[in-house]
Amino acid sequence: MAFTSFNFLIFFPLTVLACYLTPANKRWITLLLASYFFYININPVYAVLTAGITLSTYFFARWMDQSGSDKGRRRLMITNIVLILMPLFFFKYFGAVNNGLMSLLTGIGLRWPLPEISLILPVGISFYTFMAIGYTVDVYNEEVKAERNPGILALFISFFPLVLSGPIERSGNMLPQFRNIGRIEYSNLTTGLKMMVWGYFMKLVVADRLGLYVDVVYNNIAHHNGTSLLFASLLHPIQVYGDFGGYSLIALGTARILGFNVMVNFNRPFFSVSIAELWRRWHISLIKWLTDYIYTPLAFSMRRKGMTGIVIALLITFLISGIWHGAQWTFIIWGLMQGIFLSIEAVTNRKRISLESKYGLNKKPYYIIFNIVLTYILFTSSLIFSRSETVQDALLIYQKIFTAAGPLYIEKTTLIYSLMGVLMLFLKDFTDEYFHGRFEFFANSSIYVRFASYIAVIFIILLTGVLNGGQFIYFQF
Amino acid sequence: MERTDVINHLTAIFKKVFEKQELVLTDEMTANDVDQWTSLSHVILIAEIEKEFSITFQMRDLNKMDNVGAMVDLIISKL
Repeated sequence: MAFTSFNFLIFFPLTVLACYLTPANKRWITLLLASYFFYININPVYAVLTAGITLSTYFFARWMDQSGSDKGRRRLMITNIVLILMPLFFFKYFGAVNNGLMSLLTGIGLRWPLPEISLILPVGISFYTFMAIGYTVDVYNEEVKAERNPGILALFISFFPLVLSGPIERSGNMLPQFRNIGRIEYSNLTTGLKMMVWGYFMKLVVADRLGLYVDVVYNNIAHHNGTSLLFASLLHPIQVYGDFGGYSLIALGTARILGFNVMVNFNRPFFSVSIAELWRRWHISLIKWLTDYIYTPLAFSMRRKGMTGIVIALLITFLISGIWHGAQWTFIIWGLMQGIFLSIEAVTNRKRISLESKYGLNKKPYYIIFNIVLTYILFTSSLIFSRSETVQDALLIYQKIFTAAGPLYIEKTTLIYSLMGVLMLFLKDFTDEYFHGRFEFFANSSIYVRFASYIAVIFIILLTGVLNGGQFIYFQF
Repeated sequence: MERTDVINHLTAIFKKVFEKQELVLTDEMTANDVDQWTSLSHVILIAEIEKEFSITFQMRDLNKMDNVGAMVDLIISKL
């Protein structure tokens, strides 16, 4: 069930109540049952897959702990990673590989009837598979001990606040929390609820409203002019931020209510002054995962090549990130664009720093604003690819943006509501970024201001939110 | 090599890699304390340390270097 579904509004309070009534040493059982119920509610068959990945990871990690030789441990780690990646590859890439092979064979004049299987990707599989891989590598690196209780590991992999779209958590942070689950505390309840309310605002008011506009324009590229396409493209990053940032905040809030501290996934990304900074603020859990398990081993193995090694490692890492998002050229180009932007920044880094310190640019507002805008435009230019159905579509959008200006397509209600939401979101992010601790609403010292702001935001969600909206964007990954 | 010698050599490497002449290393210092100490520059730093001390790190060693103090201890253990 999704966080925005009616079922969740019943399921979650009941889970909290059940946790409250369960004795401390049995709480993991309650949460494990709740997590599997949550996941089975989507599709029972998929839960078998989650359980399979858990069992494989549990036994291989235990064997690794018992194995004396490094070679043996390494072999066990690789075997488990290959095994648990198989379902992900099968569900995510079978169709693409199949089609690719078919067109290749047809291209050289061979007709080879390959079975056509249409598969629906089990939601969350990329996220929990990455968590299981992370745990396997951490056990190999002796960062964490192999978990003895299979139930605790199962809870780590299936924990319902995170199972659908992350944050991609680490065993080092979560396993100790699962082993020792505290009581439901009032302070966690209020903090978590505030996170959830703001998360729902980001999703239902900002993302889903913006989505109505962006979808109309993007679903009919041929019909819309360059101005509308540019405007929709500029709104799209905010839509994704509202959608995935909102989802992540709801996930963090649900986990917090249950007493867990989960890593932050988005940290006001649109105030970044470089693409490197943006990637320290956008989908943080994925980028940390990619840094630790792909970029660093690659860069480390090429460390004697200097900057060339870093550039190669960056390009490969973001190419993998692109492929992770989907087996389509649009995502691959999107990933490569991130790799190229970051490589250019890495190569020019020293020069930039010396210029900035020479002229004291870092403190000049016009320089900061220029970099924020430039970063946003670069990121938007890459998202045009990931949002488009095909590379041809993306190129057509680019072509129209530069050659086919015209009157802006306006859908009044949608635009007014969504831009009002965007303004509220940016005002909050702006004050949090530059005036931290001042102009607080949810955390104001006056109880009247606090409650007035909760009620105001809930009202805005109910009045202007898209309550019958679609799924979260990241469920497809 | 004494611990202070290792720290002196290491300070020179840090100053060169991060281009900060005023940098003073402390045992508790972490990547959060130095602006330019990112996952990108960390690999360059590691390569420079290996060259300077003629040692080789394993991938696993990277995770053990939580702060400068741990880094110094690890270097000494490899000398």
